[in-house]
Amino acid sequence: MAEMWISMGPQHPMTHGLWTLKVKVDGETVVDTEPDLGYIHRGVEKICESRDFTQITTYCDRLCYASANTWSHAYIYAAEDLLEVEVPERAEYIRLVAIELQRVASHLMWLGAYGPDIGNLSVMVWCLREREMMMDLLQELGGSRMHYNFPRIGGVKRDLPYGFAQRARAKLKLFLNRIQEYEALFDESTVFLVRSQGVGYAKPEEMVNHGVTGPNLRAGGVNYDIRWAHPYSVYSELDWAPPVERSSIKGADCYDRYRVRVEEMRVSASLVLQALDKMPGGADTYHEPEDPMILAKAPSRAPEGTTGAHHFEDSRGESMFYIAGGGEGRGKQPYRVSIRSPMFITIPYAAKCMIGYKVADIPAIMGSFDPCIGETDR
Amino acid sequence: MGMTVSPDSQKAAAEALVAAASGIDGVDAEVAERSSGTNPRYVVVANASPGSWRTLAEKLYSEHAVDHCSMVTGIHWPEGDAERKWEVVYHLMRTGVRDPPNENGIVRPVIVNPSKARGASMPLELEIHVHLPDSTTPSVDSVQDIWVGADWNEKETWDLVGIDFDGHQGMRRVLQPHETPKGYHPLQKQHHLRYHGFVEMYDDAQGFMRKPADVGKIK
Repeated sequence: MAEMWISMGPQHPMTHGLWTLKVKVDGETVVDTEPDLGYIHRGVEKICESRDFTQITTYCDRLCYASANTWSHAYIYAAEDLLEVEVPERAEYIRLVAIELQRVASHLMWLGAYGPDIGNLSVMVWCLREREMMMDLLQELGGSRMHYNFPRIGGVKRDLPYGFAQRARAKLKLFLNRIQEYEALFDESTVFLVRSQGVGYAKPEEMVNHGVTGPNLRAGGVNYDIRWAHPYSVYSELDWAPPVERSSIKGADCYDRYRVRVEEMRVSASLVLQALDKMPGGADTYHEPEDPMILAKAPSRAPEGTTGAHHFEDSRGESMFYIAGGGEGRGKQPYRVSIRSPMFITIPYAAKCMIGYKVADIPAIMGSFDPCIGETDR
Repeated sequence: MGMTVSPDSQKAAAEALVAAASGIDGVDAEVAERSSGTNPRYVVVANASPGSWRTLAEKLYSEHAVDHCSMVTGIHWPEGDAERKWEVVYHLMRTGVRDPPNENGIVRPVIVNPSKARGASMPLELEIHVHLPDSTTPSVDSVQDIWVGADWNEKETWDLVGIDFDGHQGMRRVLQPHETPKGYHPLQKQHHLRYHGFVEMYDDAQGFMRKPADVGKIK
């Protein structure tokens, strides 16, 4: 049969956003792919060049609507490196709580969206139910539902509210029980197993060479994680290990990528519980905003020639900020902000993974890499 | 507790790499300290001349197990020296990731113990600066064939900043529309962010044709 190109997207349920996957098909078989991105490019890097360092946090929140907190923290760590700020330990613990709760919420959003991708509609409602608990907790910290603007250069906006630790412990305990329900819904569904097992194989060395990191990499049977390799926050103080999947000889398939994220939610929940127990001063004490226990003083200007960089383990892989100081207003604004988006690098690789499989496998393979177009297009 | 890599062993690995990389002509490397909140991190920072960059990249990949190209950043310095009007910053990493071994048909996951990571399995960060002289068509050697992860990073750098990569296969617009005029690269400094001619809805909520306070000003 003659080969032909078809466009999946920009409006297609598979895309989880707005982008086009051009697929060359020979009958039902995919022989070539070409992703086409940029539909929601907002020029965040350019906007950041005319904003103060504190104003940029809100833009970074909006890079990814499913995982806002991890993105604003990634920026804040790079800005702290640039401005040479020392963060109070209590603030680091509070940040860890916020980051890991967001990771759980983001993985739940992914799991909820992945169900409909491969014909399991009911799971979406179940996952969003638990995501709501995480978002309630994050709302207590940041004040809003999706874009929290929670971290500050030098600490955090507010301390944990009264009773937060108690509510978080209760909700996470309930959540850890309910993870078993998702596993039952997915692992015992023949439709899910048939569609996710044995498709979209990816090997770790190839993934690293292609720039793919995070849960997608750990699904291939290696435990590489920025949180231990280039430690930030207080991960060195807590007892944890990144979950690793035992992949098949051909590499990680879609099922491995699903498993590793479910396990990662367990690890994140355990990290939050440990952080609440170990927090200096105790999780039940409350400090007013701008108290030196939770917010250190930070300079507002970065002179020319200074740079700040930080690698960060985002929910989707390695995110990164590189900031050059010395912009407008005698260094009040950055000269250049550069953002590494994990999905921008992963989407071309995921598209290559589809070659050789059937057209019907495309949503299963693409969805398993957890695309988020907000951060991809920036 | 040994759950993370210790800064001291990372510093030793960075120093070893610096000693090896400094031998290349046109490369000037040192160990820099960066901080993540309260934790110090030791990073290899190197300046490479445009001519030596490709040699350095090949050497890092083949001899020092630098297996991951994290990010490529292009910067336009219109007010800089004639020798550094453009800058490309490469963030590379050594991840130490290996394919898990297969024993009698069973795959054994590779679990690196962070406190015992040594040699090529010690994670390391590298930051390579390449300064380019004044030119309307700046370009630098592509490393797309060494790290495939650099492929889309380089596409993005050309698309937004206008720095071209010699030897890059399939260069095209990735974030901007395909019909963007030739030579338009928005992150170059001659392009300023500005309000467009339209009045946004929320600027005129009362219907009095009010304009934003800074209308007409270049932001």
